[in-house]
Amino acid sequence: MGVDLSGLTDLNKADLDALTANSTPGDRAPGKAAQRSTYYAGLLSTVTAATPATDWELVQRLRSQAQAVAQEMALPSTRDEDWRFTDLSPMLAITLRAPALTTLEPAAIAAFAIPEAPVRVVVVNGRFAPELSNLAGLPEGVTIGSLMAVTDRERLASHLGQQGSQDAFSVLNTAGLNDGVVIELERRVQVAKPIHLLYVATADQPAISQPRCLVLAKAGDSHCTLIEDYVAIGQGGYCTNSVMEVVLGNCATLHHVRLQREGEQAIHIGKTAISQDWNSHYTLTTISQGASIARHSIDIAQTGPGTETILNGLSVATGEQLTDTHSSLVLSHPHGTADQLHKCIADDRGHTVFNGRVFVDHDAQQTNAAQLNRNLLLSPKARVDTKPQLEIIADDVKCSHGSTVSQLEETELFYCRSRGLDLATARSLLLDGFAGEILDRLPIASLRSTLASQIAQRINPGSSS
Amino acid sequence: MSASVSTLVNQPYKYGFVTDIESDTLPRGLSEETIYAISAKKNEPEFMLEFRLRAYRQWLKMTEPTWPDVNYPAINYQDIIYYSAPKQTQKKQSLDEVDPTLLETFEKLGIPLSEQKRLANVAVDAIFDSVSVATTFREKLAEHGVIFCSISEALKEHPELVKKYLGSVVPIADNYFAALNSAVFSDGSFVYIPKGVECPMELSTYFRINNGDSGQFERTLIVAEEGSSVSYLEGCTAPMYDSNQLHAAVVELVALDNASIKYSTVQNWYAGDANGKGGIYNFVTKRGLCKGKNSKISWTQVETGSAITWKYPSCVLVGDNSIGEFYSVALTNNCQQADTGTKMVHIGKNTRSTIVSKGISAGKSKNSYRGLVKVGPNADGARNYSQCDSMLIGSNAQANTYPYIQVQNELARVEHEATTSKIGEDQLFYLAQRGISAEDAVSMMISGFCKDVFNQLPMEFAVEADKLLSLKLEGSVG
Amino acid sequence: MIVDNAPTVLSVKNLTANVNDTPILKGLKLEIKAGEIHAIMGRNGSGKSTFSKILAGHPAYEVTGGEVVFEGQNLLELEAEERARSGVFLAFQYPVEIPGVSNLDFLRASYNARRKHQGLEEVDPFDFEDVVRDRLQVVQMDASFLDRSVNQGFSGGEKKRNEILQMALLEPTLAVLDETDSGLDIDALRIVAEGVNQLANEKNAMLVITHYQRLLDYIIPDYVHVMYDGKIVMTGDKELALELEAKGYDWVDELQPVGV
Repeated sequence: MGVDLSGLTDLNKADLDALTANSTPGDRAPGKAAQRSTYYAGLLSTVTAATPATDWELVQRLRSQAQAVAQEMALPSTRDEDWRFTDLSPMLAITLRAPALTTLEPAAIAAFAIPEAPVRVVVVNGRFAPELSNLAGLPEGVTIGSLMAVTDRERLASHLGQQGSQDAFSVLNTAGLNDGVVIELERRVQVAKPIHLLYVATADQPAISQPRCLVLAKAGDSHCTLIEDYVAIGQGGYCTNSVMEVVLGNCATLHHVRLQREGEQAIHIGKTAISQDWNSHYTLTTISQGASIARHSIDIAQTGPGTETILNGLSVATGEQLTDTHSSLVLSHPHGTADQLHKCIADDRGHTVFNGRVFVDHDAQQTNAAQLNRNLLLSPKARVDTKPQLEIIADDVKCSHGSTVSQLEETELFYCRSRGLDLATARSLLLDGFAGEILDRLPIASLRSTLASQIAQRINPGSSS
Repeated sequence: MSASVSTLVNQPYKYGFVTDIESDTLPRGLSEETIYAISAKKNEPEFMLEFRLRAYRQWLKMTEPTWPDVNYPAINYQDIIYYSAPKQTQKKQSLDEVDPTLLETFEKLGIPLSEQKRLANVAVDAIFDSVSVATTFREKLAEHGVIFCSISEALKEHPELVKKYLGSVVPIADNYFAALNSAVFSDGSFVYIPKGVECPMELSTYFRINNGDSGQFERTLIVAEEGSSVSYLEGCTAPMYDSNQLHAAVVELVALDNASIKYSTVQNWYAGDANGKGGIYNFVTKRGLCKGKNSKISWTQVETGSAITWKYPSCVLVGDNSIGEFYSVALTNNCQQADTGTKMVHIGKNTRSTIVSKGISAGKSKNSYRGLVKVGPNADGARNYSQCDSMLIGSNAQANTYPYIQVQNELARVEHEATTSKIGEDQLFYLAQRGISAEDAVSMMISGFCKDVFNQLPMEFAVEADKLLSLKLEGSVG
Repeated sequence: MIVDNAPTVLSVKNLTANVNDTPILKGLKLEIKAGEIHAIMGRNGSGKSTFSKILAGHPAYEVTGGEVVFEGQNLLELEAEERARSGVFLAFQYPVEIPGVSNLDFLRASYNARRKHQGLEEVDPFDFEDVVRDRLQVVQMDASFLDRSVNQGFSGGEKKRNEILQMALLEPTLAVLDETDSGLDIDALRIVAEGVNQLANEKNAMLVITHYQRLLDYIIPDYVHVMYDGKIVMTGDKELALELEAKGYDWVDELQPVGV
């Protein structure tokens, strides 16, 4: 047959599947389906084997429901639209175990201390470590403790495990629910100093740890800043599969900082699930720079009118890193506002993914939603995939989104050089500016400079022209 | 209310009539025998039969896509008639010999074909139930070496050209509906512009669905040789039936070095009634290949009809410095669903693409923009700019935007912007307070919203498109 | 100016009206003759803006009683666009933005709708440019305004000047200026007021609705009315506005009988 494909040959491979209107994205690896099921089942038995018995009916029920759902699930593949660009196949080569009990000396984590945040909750390999934590100086009306040690269990009944959508990893987390951290804020509590929630991975064993945290801010004028911080001590491979649930009562304000600086070999899967009652204000500032494969899912539901959500994000992927951010914002009440700025930097062979869904439901009139995604590609082998997603049913709304992919501005570089800066300095200056727009939104001064220099170190300023 | 608008709004779908004409029809259903029968009826060369059979065998292995944001009951592919043609055995050499019923039909649709009445500077290929019944200005075009005929005729008269390019842009197994089309397509238009020729007039194909039970599978192929250029326009209408008809066309464009093709569509298939009963399922694959250096392909579409629209006119920018453009207005009203957009695939260096998409959703309709901008590793200096705006009318309409951006080249630059606006009570009152009626206000706002796209259409069609939109929005603003 | 034996332009009697079933106007009376400038003052929520919207025919406001006669015809039975074409003009407090529609096209459509109603010939785009250029001077606007979308991206002052430009083009018999001074700095306020003063003559009438007295330093009213709880409770001349400015709206409250 004389179909001429000359000049189109490379299309038939990678490009053609993007072209084809019809093929589902990851039709490429169907043979691995069985392997993914088996692998996931293995993970499930690993995490459930480690769960201690409890007489808490709620926890029993959440676990068994999640286990039932998990029976039907598999490790996601790029055939799943939600994982289209994030290939988890490298996981298949790693057998993950339940983490062994580890005790750390306070000195081992001293470097992670944030001066502005003396109150610190430390979790090591997924387990609350009270001996490393500092809960002195908490203002009245703030309670922090282990989930299993909660005395008033009734209060958590309608919140724990209720936030956000279910996916293979959040289900896995719930199926293996053994403990977690609960942070409760009474009404009108103004927490002056940020609370530091430090997740430490010892990275000395191929373990899967499953941190879990529930933040509960009761209705009425509370105000708090929380720093959720993932760090590693060793260099080995491991997996973090964390779930953070936040329930904001009406008029509560939370600034949530999420720092993902896992070890270089880590696989980090995280879910942040937020429910916001009327007039509440939630700000999330995420800085993702660690792990070899990182996926952060953000699920936000505005459950009352007049609610404000601000999302700031910076993802940096260098080396062979893959950093994926999936956010979903559902506005279903009038007068809501949402403002999202997500920035990605991809260098070397780094790959960043952003999928930002904003759904404005029928009743969400007078909504004002803006989303902007900016991506910087710094090297010939780096890759950016982005997909803003705006779904609108209400008519009286003001919604916009924008997305750009570019490199550093030639004219700006030239301007700097014409003022006597060498190319490397000019580049790092402009990179600082790009990252700085997000870093400046961090409410903690010391973090801005620490993170800026950590990010600068990751990006080799002379890596490309 | 101004006179023009009032006349327009009082006739909801004026193309909904049925022509009573005897047809040569194959029995319902699809099998290899159907393919053999179609090929035999058309007396095709052997390679064409093979092409069809390969496509059919591929199609059997494929599944219907489920990812578009549209809902419809399952299609029974064995209940469709795959070949239906008005009974006139041979295409006539002279228009005077064409069945007068057909000429009347097209005249009623505003497409006069006879020598006296036809449009002065537009050559028309009239396609009735997937079969070309007449092509005007063939001789004049032939003087310039331009071939403009039905694809069936091209298969007989220029088999080497068809063989060379058919399936070269949309491979037979490209997707479910393209595979189906490759297996059973009945007719369509063929255009060949030789080297260095600027086509002396607008070319246009007018598609008319008449039969209520037959699927429509046209195939269009346009080849622009080095340094040539052509502007092509298609229009579509169909009668009002309570049932849904499947329309699965494939359009392939090839532009060689320094060639340019401008392809405009005004799609006004029957959209179903206010409750969503009836209407065309418009599942179309359109793709242009900028094969040569400095080539350019530009798609302009005004989509107002069809119960469901599923199409992504695309440009594959292989030649260095080639340019792809997509300008679209998609309007949905009542229960219509549209999932439409484009794909711009940058392969060559310094390739550029522009996307301007305007979606208007009214009634209970759903209007989704879905677009892909992909920059491959070798596309140094590629540029894309996308602007996707939505306008909502009424509180039950839905507007979605799904832009996919994939970049693997650090010297590329991609920009995407999207906004949502509305025609609301405040705007209408403000305009009323300045003496402007609601109908005029809506048509002013719609024209303003769509201006960037209408500017791309050939003049006479831009006016037509503008009127069409006002007409389609009748009763949606109160 | 007060002109002897001038014809009545607007006559409002016992007007009552609801918004979302809440009574806002509760028996408003007002008579305006040709040549006169009237000001209505009152605090927020007294019903001033509601009154202006009702005169213009906004569909969200429900008239429950009374009558409004404009140049001898029942205004209430006309649609909003018919009122506009008959010569009732409302300068909006918040002029809306209309993306995609050029100011020039919009002005011409509006101008021609009014002319057609008056039995005059419609003006083609070329002649209209001359007409509009002439009027631009009234509000000291640059011709580049005409190419922009209606009010889109205009500053507060530009929006208000655009309103007065429309008034200059349409030459209404009754112009209602709803809080035209809100959001204007002193220079913009002066330009707008001078524009209005140029347009005032013995044949038309103005109704200036304002919260503050400062606009009335530039547009001198013949009558000042004070609105309170959906009614006009005081009428005077310019001095009343100054008195109100000096004493504040609480002074009006105190004058009201208890229980109103």
